[in-house]
Amino acid sequence: MDAIKDLIFSVADDALIMGHRNSEWTGLGPTLEEDIAFSSMSQDKIGHANTLYQILNTEFGELDPDTLAFKRAAKDFRCCHFVELPTQDYAFALMRHFLFDHAEGLRYDLLRDSSYGSLADLARKIHGELKYHTLHADTWAKHLGKGTEESATRMQTALNESFPLALGIFEPGDFEGELMDTAVFVGEEVLKDSWLATIQPILEGAGLKMPDSNKVTPAFGGRKGHHTEHLEPLLKEMREVLSSEPDAEW
Amino acid sequence: MWTTYEVFHQDKRGKQHVHVGTVRAPDPEMALVLAKEQFARRQTCSNLWVVKTSDVFAFSYEDEDMFATTPEKTHREAAAYKSRDKIEEYKKRKATTT
Repeated sequence: MDAIKDLIFSVADDALIMGHRNSEWTGLGPTLEEDIAFSSMSQDKIGHANTLYQILNTEFGELDPDTLAFKRAAKDFRCCHFVELPTQDYAFALMRHFLFDHAEGLRYDLLRDSSYGSLADLARKIHGELKYHTLHADTWAKHLGKGTEESATRMQTALNESFPLALGIFEPGDFEGELMDTAVFVGEEVLKDSWLATIQPILEGAGLKMPDSNKVTPAFGGRKGHHTEHLEPLLKEMREVLSSEPDAEW
Repeated sequence: MWTTYEVFHQDKRGKQHVHVGTVRAPDPEMALVLAKEQFARRQTCSNLWVVKTSDVFAFSYEDEDMFATTPEKTHREAAAYKSRDKIEEYKKRKATTT
């Protein structure tokens, strides 16, 4: 039980924090259409987090989704460092979207075969949404990678900076072995290999060079509750309205 | 080159694609990707088309006078055919013969 809970918290917290970070672009996107598309995908991510928190609530006796999202201490979050990082420029936002969403999409693909029914059901339900997220990311990666010299340089820089953080997505949790033994999840290593094999040809097609994953130190810690200094301020901002009137009925 | 694309939305397979608006995009692939969230976010959708606006061949509004007398040509409206009367007459005839 603890193993499944730990996995769900990791996936849910990644989705919530990534969704929040991406939503920071609402109103600031490079074009009106892209602003709407990026915002809409942020909402999808927060929706996925909500569904996962509901599973924790109804099947594991955890507190309700709002409490889990808005009142939990940072150290109890299981998100990776990658999603915590403040947004810099749009090249970084798009590169993170590309790297993260491919990992997310592939994780749910693997979870479709999970022995834990609620996860398999969710994975099947949101398959089409995630397909769009990666299509959107691929289209931008190709467009900017093959765009001007400046756009290609900025995408390559974003890729180089993001890569160790992206590898942090695959930090095994405390219950990795148990999840594999019980066929809940095949494990982070399988996911990472599948991710590398998926993104490599797309990046190549976009004229970008993927760093060597063996020569990079992954940004681990998040899955064990050790976070960057960016998570606390993010949570504070996310909870600003709620904490202004903690007892209000919404 | 960023330009505008006309978006056509299909509600269900087999139904016609209906023009719903415009998006700006650098190529047709991106136009489709962006059209999806603009025009298929809140309604059912089975398929989308995008067509470069410059590829649409259209009349000039200066030629709008070509259509001016159309509303007067009631003989072209289906309602102009007195089918209702004929059906009623047929029904009456049938009722008396049986």
